[in-house]
Amino acid sequence: QTIRVAHVDPDEWTASKKGAAAHIFKNIVEGETDLTVELFPAGALGNEDELVAQAQDNVTQVVLVSGAMSKACPAASVLDIPYTFSSATVAWDVLDGEFGEALAEHCLAQTGLRTLAFGETGFRNFTNGTREIRTPADMEGLKFRVQPIPLYVEMVKGLGGEPTPIAWTELPNALSTGVVDGQENPVGVIYNNGLHKLQKFMTLDGHVYAADFILISDEFFQSLSPAEQAVVARAARVAGNMGRSIQQWGTAEGVNKVQAEGMQVYSPTAEEIAAFAEKAQPAVVEYLRGELGEDAVWIDRLQEAVASTNQ
Amino acid sequence: MALVFAIIFVNSLRRYTVGQSVSWGEELPIYLTIYGVMFGLALAYMQDRHIRFTVITDFLPDAARQKLFAAVDLASCVTGIALAYSGHAFTVRRGHLDASGLKSTGNWLAETTGIEGLVWIAKVGTWQYAIAIGGAMLAVAAFLKFIERISSFKAVPA
Amino acid sequence: MIYAILLIGLATGVPIALAIIAALLVFMGTGEAPYSLRLVATEMFKGMNSFPLLAIPLFVLAGEVMNESGITGRIIAFANVVVGRLRAGLALVNIWASVIFAGLSGSAVADTSAIGRVFIPEMEKHGYSRPFAAALTAASSVIGPIIPPSIPVIIYALIVSGVSVPALFLAGIVPGILLAIFLSVFVMLTVKVDRGNQSEGLTAEPVGRALLGGILPLLMPVFVVGSILLGIVTPTEAASFAVAYALFLGIFVYRNIALSALPRLFSEAMRDSAVILIIISAVSAANWVLTYNRVPNMLTDWVLTNVDSRTTFLIATILLFLFVGLFLEGIAAMLVLVPILHPMAVGFGIDPVHFGILVIFNLMIGLITPPLGLCLFVAEGIAQVGMARLTRAILPFFLVEVLVLLLLTFVPETVIWLPRAMGY
Ligand code: NA
Ligand code: NA
Repeated sequence: QTIRVAHVDPDEWTASKKGAAAHIFKNIVEGETDLTVELFPAGALGNEDELVAQAQDNVTQVVLVSGAMSKACPAASVLDIPYTFSSATVAWDVLDGEFGEALAEHCLAQTGLRTLAFGETGFRNFTNGTREIRTPADMEGLKFRVQPIPLYVEMVKGLGGEPTPIAWTELPNALSTGVVDGQENPVGVIYNNGLHKLQKFMTLDGHVYAADFILISDEFFQSLSPAEQAVVARAARVAGNMGRSIQQWGTAEGVNKVQAEGMQVYSPTAEEIAAFAEKAQPAVVEYLRGELGEDAVWIDRLQEAVASTNQ
Repeated sequence: MALVFAIIFVNSLRRYTVGQSVSWGEELPIYLTIYGVMFGLALAYMQDRHIRFTVITDFLPDAARQKLFAAVDLASCVTGIALAYSGHAFTVRRGHLDASGLKSTGNWLAETTGIEGLVWIAKVGTWQYAIAIGGAMLAVAAFLKFIERISSFKAVPA
Repeated sequence: MIYAILLIGLATGVPIALAIIAALLVFMGTGEAPYSLRLVATEMFKGMNSFPLLAIPLFVLAGEVMNESGITGRIIAFANVVVGRLRAGLALVNIWASVIFAGLSGSAVADTSAIGRVFIPEMEKHGYSRPFAAALTAASSVIGPIIPPSIPVIIYALIVSGVSVPALFLAGIVPGILLAIFLSVFVMLTVKVDRGNQSEGLTAEPVGRALLGGILPLLMPVFVVGSILLGIVTPTEAASFAVAYALFLGIFVYRNIALSALPRLFSEAMRDSAVILIIISAVSAANWVLTYNRVPNMLTDWVLTNVDSRTTFLIATILLFLFVGLFLEGIAAMLVLVPILHPMAVGFGIDPVHFGILVIFNLMIGLITPPLGLCLFVAEGIAQVGMARLTRAILPFFLVEVLVLLLLTFVPETVIWLPRAMGY
């Protein structure tokens, strides 16, 4: 049997989190079972939404996606509530613990996709060309490009900035022509796309933590022998950790590099982060409660899980 | 086509003047174009505008070529029917999802006009159905072309 | 089976897009799970679901509006003033009118039909043979998509992420002009019948009028291409500005487009771009199947084990595209081959922009090579001299163009100097 593994990141394993995860998954599964693993990196089979659809149809068996998951399984969007995780290690504990397991089960029932493990795309941070941002008050009056996703619009509004939804491909233009003053993205994305050359200031506020979902078509998973299932599940957990590590490496390196190239980077204190959270969370939570309907219980379950992890 | 042009033009003007563009400014013209392409597919078939490979057929005597083309029309008609089925199955499977850029506008339209049906604007299925409709129109166009050719055989005795 | 359907379909004159769709429907409809008929529509829809792709219908529309507004006559008058007096003047006007036309239109076929209608009868009147006139028209019209704006360039940039449209646009300018110069030298050396129109005393007034008449249309490429190059607008937005400008000229300045003609113009543009877009849609569905079955990976492995140097690779690529150009329409050829060849080219250390222009130039030569040369079809449709005579007449031009292609291939500076100089 063949497992087709697809994602939209580059294939190269030293700099690409999903690329690295896919490679180690392939090595483990092929080494320990008779299964064949074929990798389709760099969006060869389609974008994330399409990959999710393909996995639901068992056309592509394993997909590594981030944002697309919450479209198929809306409860997963609670992870996007800003300033939920104070650090990546907290996120790992929550996702690898009871909460992550329960969310995975819920999404399995809803989509037919089994979450084998979580990787990470990283924390998103604000950059701008006008002034250093230490508190929400510093965001007043600044225009920020956001993804055309309502949750991000609500978040920036809550913080006092002016959200401007612009497509990713338009972003460099919009920054250099001054259509917007700032933007928000993970450090790796900022550095790899040269956005630090267009922006003077970055605040490592880590407003949204983006997880990667390593998903397998449950129809396919059930067709495997118990021994194969065990190897596949273990390989995916190793792959998720590999992806997290590569992501952490890239972020740490990126923070140093953007500074070396002239960007001013500010790391807010815990009190300052709390001030950001106080402004941003209520708007987003209210919006999400309206969107999620009965799935809104996942907001509370997440907050409980984070609280007990933080203790 | 006019609508596609108008939306893109006005939306990019807005972006450069007001610094704001509407959320459906990219998605809607794409979907309208897909409908346009599927309409154009049938229209181009009727008018023999498609890019085809004519070297071999050019060597055939006229009468034989006409018969061959009539057969091609029938094959195209079948292709159109199969494509329509494929498009229908595609929509049934995936069409209930929301089109992200159109979601709020579609829901707003439905709320303000009170016409519940207008939420369909926000569903991708509405736009995915272009493939099915295009396939059906192609089948009709190819069939009409077939009839036209057959009757021209009779009109001009060989 | 799938190939049999494709080949029979193509041979019997089924439209290319439909032959591909039919083959896919049979393949996916009869294949085992996970294949299903539904996937054909899924992947076709995906192939068209792209904002940058919208530049294509918009540039087609801009081209049709330009044609309708009688701009061809103004361009010819302009070119006549500049090069008409030289030896082989009329042939030169034909070539350089295409260069100007190239700045307005992204399509060689539109150029062949607009300029051919005027020039083929006119050149015959001045003693040129009809096949020569038709061949020259077709041969020089391929300059159109090499000089920006260009539909093939937009498609290339869609296939290869990370290669920017502005860089490719800039890179096409020098090759397009080089091609015009080579063709010009060639006609000046070979044409004996036309000594130029120096007998007609050119007074300042018609010269001035012709130059002025050419100014407004010439502003469009400057404006449209300039705004893309400066990164102010995306190609799709620029294409919409081009349409707006062409409409403005036609309706308010030249006043030869009636408002009542607009619905016809829009629907013709939709039909003509549908012909291109449906091929893109069908081929992208076919590509998904090929990728899913790892055909590109196998081809890549094969080439990498058998081709060991950059020069061999480039020559093999040229031969491959010239060969494929005989049978496959240019856009389809690009969609199938570029995703496979581009990574290899990068592996051999070839500049992606250089490689892109080589591929596009190569495919444009395909437009004038029989049996499937679209420009040749259009020129033959106007000249009515028969494919055999036209094929003989096109041969020397074909050789000139291959010569230019070799020059571009082995002197990369001809292509990448300008984009480099502009900071890409
Ligand atoms: Na052009
Ligand atoms: Na010409």
